[in-house]
Amino acid sequence: MSPGGDGPALPPDVERQLEGTPPAEIAVSLATYNNAATVPAVVEAIRAGLEKHFAGVPAVLISADAGSSDATVERLAAAGLPVVRAAHEAPLAERAAVPFHGVPGRGAALRLAFAVARRLGARGLVVLEADVTSIGGDWLERLLRPVLEHGTDLVMPMYERHRYDGTITNLVLAPLVGALYGRRLHQPLAGARGLSGRLLDRLVADPGWPPAGRSMTDLWIEGITLAEGFTLREALLGRWRVESSTRSADLPAMVAETLGGIFGVMDIYEALWRDAVGGEAEAGAAPLLPSAEPVRIDVERMIGAFRHGLRDLGSIWEHVLAPETLGDVLSLPADGAERFRFPDPLWARVVYDFALGHHYRVVYRDHLLRSFVPLYLGRAAAFVIATARGDGAATAAALDAVSGAFEREKRYLVDSWR
Amino acid sequence: MTPGRARDWYKDAVFYEVHVKAFRDANGDGVGDFAGLTESLDYLQELGVDCLWILPMYASPLKDDGYDISDFYTVHPSYGTLEDFQKFLDAAHARDMRVITDLVVNHTSDQHPWFQASRSDRASPYADYYVWNDSPNRFADARVIFVDTEKSNWTLDPQRNEYYWHRFFSHQPDLNYDNPAVRQAMLDVMRFWLDRGLDGFRCDAVPYLIEREGTSCENLPETHAVLKEFRSVIDREYGGDRILLAEANQWPEDVRPYFGDGDEFHMAFHFPLMPRLYLGLHLEDSRPITDIFTHTPPIPSPCQWGLFLRNHDELTLEMVTNEERAFMYYAYARDREMKLNLGIRRRLAPLVDNDRRRIELLNCLLLTLPGSPIIYYGDEIGMGDNVYLGDRNGVRTPMQWSRDRHAGFSRAEAVELFLPVITDPVYGYEAVNVAAQTRQPASLLNTMRRLLAARRKSPVFGRGSIDFLRPHNARILAYVRRYEGETLLIVTNLSAAPQPVELDLARFAGATPIEMLGDTVFPTIRQAPYFLSLGPHGFYWFRLDRPGDGDEPYGIEATPI
Repeated sequence: MSPGGDGPALPPDVERQLEGTPPAEIAVSLATYNNAATVPAVVEAIRAGLEKHFAGVPAVLISADAGSSDATVERLAAAGLPVVRAAHEAPLAERAAVPFHGVPGRGAALRLAFAVARRLGARGLVVLEADVTSIGGDWLERLLRPVLEHGTDLVMPMYERHRYDGTITNLVLAPLVGALYGRRLHQPLAGARGLSGRLLDRLVADPGWPPAGRSMTDLWIEGITLAEGFTLREALLGRWRVESSTRSADLPAMVAETLGGIFGVMDIYEALWRDAVGGEAEAGAAPLLPSAEPVRIDVERMIGAFRHGLRDLGSIWEHVLAPETLGDVLSLPADGAERFRFPDPLWARVVYDFALGHHYRVVYRDHLLRSFVPLYLGRAAAFVIATARGDGAATAAALDAVSGAFEREKRYLVDSWR
Repeated sequence: MTPGRARDWYKDAVFYEVHVKAFRDANGDGVGDFAGLTESLDYLQELGVDCLWILPMYASPLKDDGYDISDFYTVHPSYGTLEDFQKFLDAAHARDMRVITDLVVNHTSDQHPWFQASRSDRASPYADYYVWNDSPNRFADARVIFVDTEKSNWTLDPQRNEYYWHRFFSHQPDLNYDNPAVRQAMLDVMRFWLDRGLDGFRCDAVPYLIEREGTSCENLPETHAVLKEFRSVIDREYGGDRILLAEANQWPEDVRPYFGDGDEFHMAFHFPLMPRLYLGLHLEDSRPITDIFTHTPPIPSPCQWGLFLRNHDELTLEMVTNEERAFMYYAYARDREMKLNLGIRRRLAPLVDNDRRRIELLNCLLLTLPGSPIIYYGDEIGMGDNVYLGDRNGVRTPMQWSRDRHAGFSRAEAVELFLPVITDPVYGYEAVNVAAQTRQPASLLNTMRRLLAARRKSPVFGRGSIDFLRPHNARILAYVRRYEGETLLIVTNLSAAPQPVELDLARFAGATPIEMLGDTVFPTIRQAPYFLSLGPHGFYWFRLDRPGDGDEPYGIEATPI
């Protein structure tokens, strides 16, 4: 592979660093923002992983920092690996309210890291998260070996999770992405991933990167990968545990970012998803952690939030939801957990109507996204109610059914989309 | 947050004050009626109203806009029938809205059969229902309230050839509450309406029930005893969720006794606040507003202040000092027609020159200061007034629904309307109406809906404590409201120019302000002064979120993605 040369011009200080940096086959990128507390452990796992699995292969660490005010960058440099340090301008809004992944301007960080990796001639790039402290020495290998030895272009992680972790991903994002791209992915917004030089070339050269300030880049990369015949695999990594001072814990904000991200991709990159069909996952279901701890989920409060939505947000929903969908939502038995259900086909239509409402800007988009929160809480409550007494397999089956409904209802979305 | 069936629902409620005659005329006779009000309930529900306050709707010769009641047991025929009232009440309840009505307890019309019997026959059971005397010299220390029209509190009745006592107009004789039969008769009146499901009464002119020689005849202990008796009977017989709201146009420390130990009135109006809001805005100075709160005593926990910007009476200046009053006249009533008694008879919008920013800022204060807000009908769309209509009618003109004939209020002929609709070029119904503002997303009406919806998100507005911050810039009024672990920060700019402010928020260091109207996250508070800039008459409603506090978790938010 030859170094890609069509990407954006790199900042002068990065250019200067590249002049003194030897070519590398492996690049590892960390997008950072005030992660001084966790960076040493993450870098040590990278160093150990390289030494154990890729001894002797030239490697470089790319630091893409969003303007940390702590010792993050210095501690990265102390890792004993060749480091290229690049700083990028993060949108001000993302600094004031850092997105769920903890890094303002993640898209800019990725783009910079991709360009540097190609300039250094890397055959594979592993993107890791600087605040994920459960990283093991084998993560690097599992994300990279399929790229280097099996010609895989994109390796996505599957983490072991409690069955009620990731309800936004499991009930909204993954089914939607699966139906859109024709391929089920367990965690489309997982921050870690491995990319081939070929895919990097394709992406770096693309003039149409998603706009800054939206959580779209990761989903766009997956869309390109699947739509243009690149190969994708999922790799099991183990538990995902984060220690961060910057990740948002605001549920409505996370719902809005996640949904806004995928809706934005749908809006701008229609060709990536419109005609894709299929949906079966390559690997099996992501493993669920045994639910040793009792479920401490306040289903009644979630249904209460759903009821408040019914009461207060009807004036927004009636602009967004198709009349029969709104009617079905309004008649859900929301008086308590005993009888509360949220049928999958109705759920898929609700999400698709929100995507259409976002597309046609029927109401101010931020209001639209936030008005989705009570619906999500209602659906999540129904999911917990339906699976509380079942085992892991029953949970997996329930999630499969959600994905299936999204795939079957996709026609409705495509037909309504202009 | 559903007001639901909580007994103290009034603490979270937004009230809306409305004249039946002025709201909507369903039968086309030129006077609004209960059927019209029933048709309008969807509008009020969408606005975000929790409780309607109906001005007097009883049979009356209407010499004082219904505050002169001639039969407590009927609805004024122009407004409909008892059955119409019942349909209205049931329809409001079906929408989770409550209804209270005005009840004049202090006096009746001189047309009331009780007074007719009292004046005509000294042996009648009603002979002592009113306060009679053979000379006009008793209770000489009591002031005359309506100084523009009344010379004395006594008027000679030629029939009985005695003087009768009246604190208001001479056609409104005061009831004699020293007479136990009068107290029972008034309780029976209350039972009659509460039995129909009414949620409470706004009691008119309560300080004046009892008279004693050598006193001002206001706020007497004997008056409180009567009111406590009413309260205990209502609580006992109706389960404790029916409310009594006091009209006592007094200083807060004098109103305070009307709350008793939580065993008298549930609510009382905060009269002095309102003129000070206008004063603070006009002087661009927060101190008139903060000062009045230092003069506001704490009230028992089941009790609540009722806050208002305008009501059907004039902007009351009784509650300001003479110097302030002169300034208020100068500022808000340059036209002599606008002065009446000791007040200014204008609606909200004309009082602030129809300046949207000032209208919104005043509403912001109304909705965020401690108490339950009371919106006067029409002010949510910025209706104007007609100062040439005489007495207080200038602010009681027909509700402006649309640009149809008579503002969509009535199908009657123009001459049949109880009052003409407003037609001037600025405030006329063609320029200011519900239909047009419904369609404009940024209209005052839609802004009011958003403000009310934001207020509904938190119980702090109705129930929280208040602490004023003291920034160096006195043009900024900023305060912290707290209730059960939730904290709100309200920052307002009383000035017509943009203002910077540094707030000492060190005690909230680590918390993140979330602007509640746009759900925008602001930078986290540190030890250093927190800098904000505000546009002309701008305001912020912040919820202060601390990592780890706030709502109980759902249990799914740790790693939802």
